[in-house]
Amino acid sequence: MNLSLHPLILLLLFPGGLFLLNIGMIYEWADRKLVARYQNRQGPRWFQPLADTIKLLAKEEIVPKGVHKGLFFALPIIALTGALTAGLYVPLFGFEPAFSFQGDLVVTLYLLSMMTLCMGLAGANTVSRFSLVGATRALTQMFSYEAPFLLALLGPAIAAGTWNIGEINNFAGQNLWMIIAQPIGFVVAVVGLMGKLELPPFDAPEAETEIVAGALTEYSGRGFALFRIGKDVELVIGLTLVVVFYLGGISNPIWFIVKSAGLLLVVAALQSMFARLKIDQTVGLWWRLGALMALLQLVAIILGRYLGALIR
Amino acid sequence: MTNSSGEKFVVPIGPQHPALKEPGQFQFTVDGEIVTGASIRLGFVHRGIEKACESRNYTQDLYLLERVCGICSHVHATAFALGVEKLAGVEAPPRAEAIRVLGGELERIHSHLLWLGVAAHEGGFDTLFMYTWRDREVVMDLLESISGSRVHYSLNVIGGVKYDITDKMADEIRRGMDFLEERTHYYMKVVTTDDTFVGRTRGVGIMTKEHAERLGAVGPTARASGVERDIRFNAPYSAYKEFPINMIMDTTGDLEARFIVRIKELFECYRLIREILDNLPESDLTVKVKRRIPAGEVISRVEAPRGELLYYIQSDGSDMPARVKARTPSLCNWATISDVAIGHKLADMPMLLVGIDPCFSCNDRLVQVNRPNQTDLNWSWDDLRRYGIEYYR
Amino acid sequence: MGIGALLGDVVRSLFSKPATEQYPFVRYAAPDRLRGKLVYDPEKCSGCQLCIKDCPSNAIELLVVDKKAKKFVMRYHADRCVYCAQCVDNCRFECLNMSNEQWELASTDKAAFEVMYGKDEDIEYLLQRAAQPGADEPPCE
Repeated sequence: MNLSLHPLILLLLFPGGLFLLNIGMIYEWADRKLVARYQNRQGPRWFQPLADTIKLLAKEEIVPKGVHKGLFFALPIIALTGALTAGLYVPLFGFEPAFSFQGDLVVTLYLLSMMTLCMGLAGANTVSRFSLVGATRALTQMFSYEAPFLLALLGPAIAAGTWNIGEINNFAGQNLWMIIAQPIGFVVAVVGLMGKLELPPFDAPEAETEIVAGALTEYSGRGFALFRIGKDVELVIGLTLVVVFYLGGISNPIWFIVKSAGLLLVVAALQSMFARLKIDQTVGLWWRLGALMALLQLVAIILGRYLGALIR
Repeated sequence: MTNSSGEKFVVPIGPQHPALKEPGQFQFTVDGEIVTGASIRLGFVHRGIEKACESRNYTQDLYLLERVCGICSHVHATAFALGVEKLAGVEAPPRAEAIRVLGGELERIHSHLLWLGVAAHEGGFDTLFMYTWRDREVVMDLLESISGSRVHYSLNVIGGVKYDITDKMADEIRRGMDFLEERTHYYMKVVTTDDTFVGRTRGVGIMTKEHAERLGAVGPTARASGVERDIRFNAPYSAYKEFPINMIMDTTGDLEARFIVRIKELFECYRLIREILDNLPESDLTVKVKRRIPAGEVISRVEAPRGELLYYIQSDGSDMPARVKARTPSLCNWATISDVAIGHKLADMPMLLVGIDPCFSCNDRLVQVNRPNQTDLNWSWDDLRRYGIEYYR
Repeated sequence: MGIGALLGDVVRSLFSKPATEQYPFVRYAAPDRLRGKLVYDPEKCSGCQLCIKDCPSNAIELLVVDKKAKKFVMRYHADRCVYCAQCVDNCRFECLNMSNEQWELASTDKAAFEVMYGKDEDIEYLLQRAAQPGADEPPCE
């Protein structure tokens, strides 16, 4: 089949726009459904995230007093853009990434962090006290999980000897699953992903019983919808990254679905098993335990490679 | 956190807030995440029930007072019925008293399980919340099959109870208790061993015994701090004389102790319910009480799930009370929040709030208005209006 | 000490049926003692009005058609009723009862909450009288 569409339009369909948005919503539904089932509940029907999004998009967007208007409207768009752009460098569905170059791993990670940054800014932009506390917490949390998460993803990259996600994917597909060689890294990566997505028990930045909705308290309508979609997209990309790095890579769509759904099963179980951590507990956990473990793992890999080279 | 003008950074919780199931306002002054000051404002759900009682007869009041609280409805009716029976000089038959206590203990189970769920939810532990509430359905269904309603059981009448416990029901209740006991052991394990949860409760909101006594705490909140205060034990009423209860105590005084005290109380409830079912005395269910209650006044005290509940009833010899006053346990426990909160993290506040198992509509009973510079207590409509406008300006 | 004390239950829940009740689609029988809509049997009523005296919410009205012939019609306001069953307890002739079948009483129409109990001809008579006020009064001279 030879489609003669402009590459930009193609990009809007796959993997950039429509495809990522839809798969994001499907994953959000799967996540919610799984958590509900873990809690012995019924859970939402399959179209619930879509219905939520349509409802939010249709609603009036209220601009609170005392905000910088331009920033208020721009932040959700930047956040979503960041998440969607990150999708370009990731082998979604087992296809080759749309773009790739040596070092795109770092770019992807920074693009994913845009979301948290935008949320922090969005919270700090309003005068609502819940938003301010939420923004502070979101940024604090970002500083705590970011380094261990990066270190955890660095392990496989060093093992593969490349900083290109596509190449790591190929490397992972041809070798032993890296979860076996680097179990600590896998744990840190999964937990780091949960911290990144602010899933329970790392949901202190949006703890509803304390600060309502955290940084997004003042958002309604379109802005809120965009942030939500951005988060869904980030969930997909985050899952894909962990699968690529630790679960033997993905070579075709079926493997992608099986592996990422399996990972989601674990993530949802982790979400429903713990009480929310206080923000100081989160920071403590990451810096005292997470970072240390990831570093140990890294040192072990580097030593292993060095020794391996020596023997050879 | 202070802004440039040195103003305090206040985080308001309430009147409308996801952490609160009923309206009340708590203002926490924070410095970063640390709370440096707390104030409580209540009175959003004042309903004037005490006054309404004076224009209804005793039987009607029973149902009105049951609606003071949706969770401990039976206890309110029991306290009132016991008081009126004392005034009338009658005593309910032993079987009726036993069924009253049975209802009260079943209600305590439902209340404590509900609390466990809410407290877990405030700590972001939604799975525990869902599980406890699912299991709470068992006791709700039992109450429904005994009395015909899940919330307002209306078991009491003046001079006895309405509904008998049949053998079939007794077996059903025993089965329910067995199931719940097993589940409660499990929750005990979760609450005391899960690191993430213990991290939220252990050492949080410590209240010493002296502190609790000075603040006048009641119920499980006081007992978790080592204050021996349980009306069922100190001044047994109704069938608690025949079926004595063991007081559950803890000495730590932190949030975890409150969890442990309430969960251990659940075990005590199961034990007592089984004992009552095994030794249910045979007698009538009601005694006749005249519609007109002799003049006099009485204080009736019972132990609600949240602590001591006190009723003062004054009769002028007619079929309507001259004055009814209720003092609910939540009212005694508020001070423990504002006092203990200081120095804790903002994230601890919802759990501290819920730690006393507050019931807002219960205690918003009386509004006293003090007019500045004037001793006259009679206010005209205009005065009230002006005061209201000034107050909310 | 440990983490994941809930793990067993969480995994078990995944493979068991949700505890959610599928209410409108699957209905469970209500317990025998459920206090639903009030049902009145005009045959047994003596017209003592004790039920009305103790009703906490003024939900019952007894309209006397003919006291000697014991013809009564009860107007029951289901929306005012608090379902305490005090009237059932008060009634010495067991002509009042609370149904355990009719408890889904929600309605979008206020009129549905006003229920008339009694013999058909009595109700008709009352309705007619209500439609033409003053018809059965003696004419003023």
